[in-house]
Amino acid sequence: MIRWWLLALSLGFVPGLAPGARADDDAKPTADKVKAAEKEYAIPYRLTDTKHILVRVKVNGKGPFNLILDTGAPAVFITKKSAERAGLDTDKDGWAATDSFELEGGLKVPGAKARVADLFQLEGMNGMGLAGVELHGVVGYNVLAKYRITYDFTADKLKFVALDFTPPAVNAKGKDNSQGGLDLLGPAMKMLAGFMGIKPNFAVEPRGFLGVELAETDGKLAVKSVVKGSPAAAAGLKPGDLITGVSKAFAAKGREPGIDDLDRLKAFGRWVEPMRAGQKAKIQVERGDKTETVTVEFGKGL
Amino acid sequence: MNFKLAIASLLTVAIAGGVQAQALPEAKPLKVPFKLLPSRHMLIEVTINDKGPYKLIFDTGAPLNIVTSRLGKETGISKRGGGGIAALLSGGMNQVEIGTMQLGDVTAKKVAAVVMDHPTVKAISDAFAEEHGTIDGIVGFPFFARFATTVDYQKKELLLSPRDYKPGNYIEDLTKSLSAAGENAGQAKVVGPAGLWGFTLAKTKADDEPSVAVGEVYEGTPAAAAGLKVGDRVLTIDGRWTDTLGDAHVAVSLVKPGRKADVTLTRDGKPMTLSITPVVGY
Repeated sequence: MIRWWLLALSLGFVPGLAPGARADDDAKPTADKVKAAEKEYAIPYRLTDTKHILVRVKVNGKGPFNLILDTGAPAVFITKKSAERAGLDTDKDGWAATDSFELEGGLKVPGAKARVADLFQLEGMNGMGLAGVELHGVVGYNVLAKYRITYDFTADKLKFVALDFTPPAVNAKGKDNSQGGLDLLGPAMKMLAGFMGIKPNFAVEPRGFLGVELAETDGKLAVKSVVKGSPAAAAGLKPGDLITGVSKAFAAKGREPGIDDLDRLKAFGRWVEPMRAGQKAKIQVERGDKTETVTVEFGKGL
Repeated sequence: MNFKLAIASLLTVAIAGGVQAQALPEAKPLKVPFKLLPSRHMLIEVTINDKGPYKLIFDTGAPLNIVTSRLGKETGISKRGGGGIAALLSGGMNQVEIGTMQLGDVTAKKVAAVVMDHPTVKAISDAFAEEHGTIDGIVGFPFFARFATTVDYQKKELLLSPRDYKPGNYIEDLTKSLSAAGENAGQAKVVGPAGLWGFTLAKTKADDEPSVAVGEVYEGTPAAAAGLKVGDRVLTIDGRWTDTLGDAHVAVSLVKPGRKADVTLTRDGKPMTLSITPVVGY
């Protein structure tokens, strides 16, 4: 049942501005003018769990804020709380000018204006933590149109090429058009999340560190080298050890769990994934003709 | 749970379609012209199952392709209508597969979509019907993620080059992230490097500089080989800001072992850039 609510909420990100405002659309570019700007930027992005393209932006040096690239939005939208953090002054129509608007990857967008508003879609997604990351707004036409942007999900960066092109201003007043009842979903989702005991936590905790270089050869998982002074060295792992099994993490006073077979790099990666600094676990290795089991305590580092 | 699985498998099938482009990969990108509506939405013409063309909005912020029930019926992709929000809330979502979609030079086959009379689409359609005719839906992620898609507002065209990328399953991922939210019960997400770098980072509560400090550099590691030093202030890793320990870990989680990443930093106040290539390990 809830699934359908989620769906409705994250459908078609089309924040409404009164669509009536008819601007003179064609800022007439000439062919040779097109070549003039052409500066290229590699912009890091992430895909959220809700399949939105997320970039990070510092507004007036504050943030970074997580914004979604949304050609379905006429302008940059930023939540009231974020606008406050960035020290933005909002005019009577809900617009705010920014002193600086910098995308991660080194792109400073000159003269970017933002609408300050709490979009119901973001409210709902944040209430449940659906995107896997807190969302602070969207980047729409007024900024996107200044760049020729290539979205390629087989690459880890987006390509922004600055155009010698001033998009016609978006002057619409801040009157939202009807969302046909969809707009009621944001607050409803928040309430629902409360009832379900969902408290989204967007914080990131660094994973624990071992200090072991690995190689998979002839179907065996081998320790290639051990970092001097690392937790792996302290546990007594040695170069040439073949890893054959691991235990789940155990807390200091908890009962020690048994060893599960594990001899592949990918599986080892999945095993390591949730480990926090300070957690202990066992690694079983073949060393020469002996089988040894060592206890590692994950440390800090990368 | 069975219900969840049933839906997931249903959608996996729906999404597993291929792209048939009328050009070899890495040939000239395929061109799709668009019109810009006064509301700044991109309007494209799409021929669906050889019917149309229909007018749809191209939207990078839409995680789904959406078509109106009118379009669904006319093109034979859906016998029943999608209904509006009320139908959606009572579980009546109508997930379909579009046989062929043609936009400009591009043909895509077996594209997942939802039949739904979306109120926002209707509002935009009504506002511009006089000049542009009826607008019948949204083209979103499950379509454009199959391509390297370039949006050029100056020339008013999209350029698409086929890519081997699977858009994944929206509902499955949503369900996953929701159940994760339930299971983790408010715990922070653990994020770690994809490879072994060989240094530690530190940031105290009082430290409000936009960077993190290098705490320790391990001997014989990629970080040591690149010349990283204790006390360096790391500003970015692979182009991503590293203002917090969490941010730094997100950045290194996205650099696969063997790939060189630029690390920008300040040392004694002077800006520097190092290149570090993490190795396989943890």
